[in-house]
Amino acid sequence: MQTYTCISKAMAWVFFMTLPASVLFPVLCFGRGEEVTSFINRYKQYEVSTGYYETYEMRPRHESPLVSRFRGRDRDPFGYTSTSASVRNRHLLSDSHRGIKFYDNSRCEMCHANETRDIHTVRANLTCRQCHGAEPIASIDHYYSPLNPIRRHAYVCSKCHEGASASFASYVIHEPAAGSADSKTQFPALFYAYWFMLILLAGTLAFFIPHSIMMGVRELFGKSKDR
Amino acid sequence: MRIKRFSALDRVFHLFLILTFLIQTATGFSRLFFPTEWGKTLNAVFGGYESSILIHKWVGILMIWGFIFHTLYLITRIDWKNLGNSIFGPDSLVPNIHDVKHFRQRLRWFFGMGPRPRLGRWAYWEKFDYWAVYWGLPLLAVTGVMMMYPVFTSRYIPGWTLNVAALLHRAEAILAVSYIFIVHFYVGHLRPSSFPMNEAMFAGSVSVEELAEEKPAWLEQLQNEGKIKTAKAKTPPLLYRVIYFIFGYAALGLGVYLLINSIVYSRYITLH
Ligand code: HEC
Ligand code: HEC
Ligand code: HEC
Repeated sequence: MQTYTCISKAMAWVFFMTLPASVLFPVLCFGRGEEVTSFINRYKQYEVSTGYYETYEMRPRHESPLVSRFRGRDRDPFGYTSTSASVRNRHLLSDSHRGIKFYDNSRCEMCHANETRDIHTVRANLTCRQCHGAEPIASIDHYYSPLNPIRRHAYVCSKCHEGASASFASYVIHEPAAGSADSKTQFPALFYAYWFMLILLAGTLAFFIPHSIMMGVRELFGKSKDR
Repeated sequence: MRIKRFSALDRVFHLFLILTFLIQTATGFSRLFFPTEWGKTLNAVFGGYESSILIHKWVGILMIWGFIFHTLYLITRIDWKNLGNSIFGPDSLVPNIHDVKHFRQRLRWFFGMGPRPRLGRWAYWEKFDYWAVYWGLPLLAVTGVMMMYPVFTSRYIPGWTLNVAALLHRAEAILAVSYIFIVHFYVGHLRPSSFPMNEAMFAGSVSVEELAEEKPAWLEQLQNEGKIKTAKAKTPPLLYRVIYFIFGYAALGLGVYLLINSIVYSRYITLH
């Protein structure tokens, strides 16, 4: 297994140098390794580079337990804690399902049908709780949620994907249906990739199928001299 | 009399592509269609979900090397002293202005409004065949390697590109499969002038009569350049013909089987 990984990693390296993959997918994270990056990035990279996940944590500001974006002034006021104790404490989570009737006797997929179509659920047979955790299930925007983007890679993804980085965790688990209007607003790259490929497929077949049929018809029924 | 059309190396590349492409289609579809009954059956053939993807990865790497070697081979085939002619000349696969002309003539011929175009060595649809593989393979390779090492990849490019890579990989695979199993198979086997099988890619040679009909401009070019003597080839031995007929039909059958089932079961899957 070790040699297999080594050999195939080496091949991947050769390959990455051979083909300019980075040209195809514009690089957004080239600045990551620099010394002066944002506070959040330094924190994330620290975890990745040391391999110690969950050892250091950040606490939210007092006003708001919900953190969805790190822009502007929201970025600064986090403080480190050297133990992640307060974050690991599930009692701080708010319950998205509080007050919902019959929740206890229902299955996730009864209410969240759209979230059951992802690769992890359909193919890898994961249960929702392997990522979303035990009760209470908080919104991913909730500060203390393990799926909050600031610690998703460390608390969830790296349980199974060794070495998962924050960049890796930006993979969209429940991606919107690729060609839908939703994906146009939520995930434009996916939307345009889908329509580009669909039009290419339809165009190629719409051209070549009639072309081949006409070729066949002419060869069968044409006069032999101009066949 | 027969004229040599494909060198042994060309044919080995083609054979390599047939074998790897069929394996990739079968293992890839076994994954894509995994939520369906048929997908599970297909998975079982390769020893289950895990080993089928393992085969898919290794054969994928093999194809990448094939692509690299083919590109090196292409570079050696360029005649640097005579660059313009070797790239845009009649023996080159690079599309040129004649292809547009031939296509227009062919459209007119379809409707009986003009003579058949006098095709040279490579018809425009043959050039399309070639270049479709040539850009499709790197796209599949890049997206495939990205998904093979998702954690590694996301160190260099953001993780959400994996969503896009997965989509592109599947869409391009479906494009390639439908083109090869519908159009390419039709042209190679079912088309009246090729039926039951166009042997050029296996025998390596075509008969002069066929050439005079199909590729008159190339025949003329060979005569003008005085190459017709050296281009002469022997009739392939019977045993060899039997073997490649059986092989060709096995590949055809497998392809059509995969195509039909994938159409039938396409209702039950999504692209992601
Ligand atoms: C009885 C129906 C029901 C069941 C069963 C259910 N949920 Fe929910 N879930 C809801 C509703 C309603 C909301 C609130 C949606 C909102 O506020 O936008 C919600 C919210 C959520 C949220 C936060 C969404 C957000 O936008 O903040 C998550 C995550 C979630 N559910 C996951 C799960 C998981 C995992 C399970 C299975 C263990 C599950 N749910 C079971 C109805 C349900
Ligand atoms: C591999 C881990 C994983 C699994 C398994 C998983 N989820 Fe999620 N879920 C996520 C992540 C990450 C998000 C954040 C949005 C995204 O990436 O799509 C999320 C978002 C959600 C949301 C929206 C939450 C919000 O605040 O917007 C709901 C609802 C949800 N998941 C329900 C489910 C249900 C139901 C299942 C089981 C069928 C499930 N999830 C399985 C990782 C997972
Ligand atoms: C409980 C284990 C588990 C967790 C937690 C988990 N994954 Fe996965 N993940 C898997 C398995 C298993 C597969 C392989 C699925 C397959 O082969 O079909 C996979 C595959 C993937 C892939 C490759 C998808 C593809 O197109 O081939 C990506 C990307 C991925 N996971 C991202 C994530 C992210 C991001 C998270 C964190 C939110 C996460 N995973 C959390 C088990 C997990």
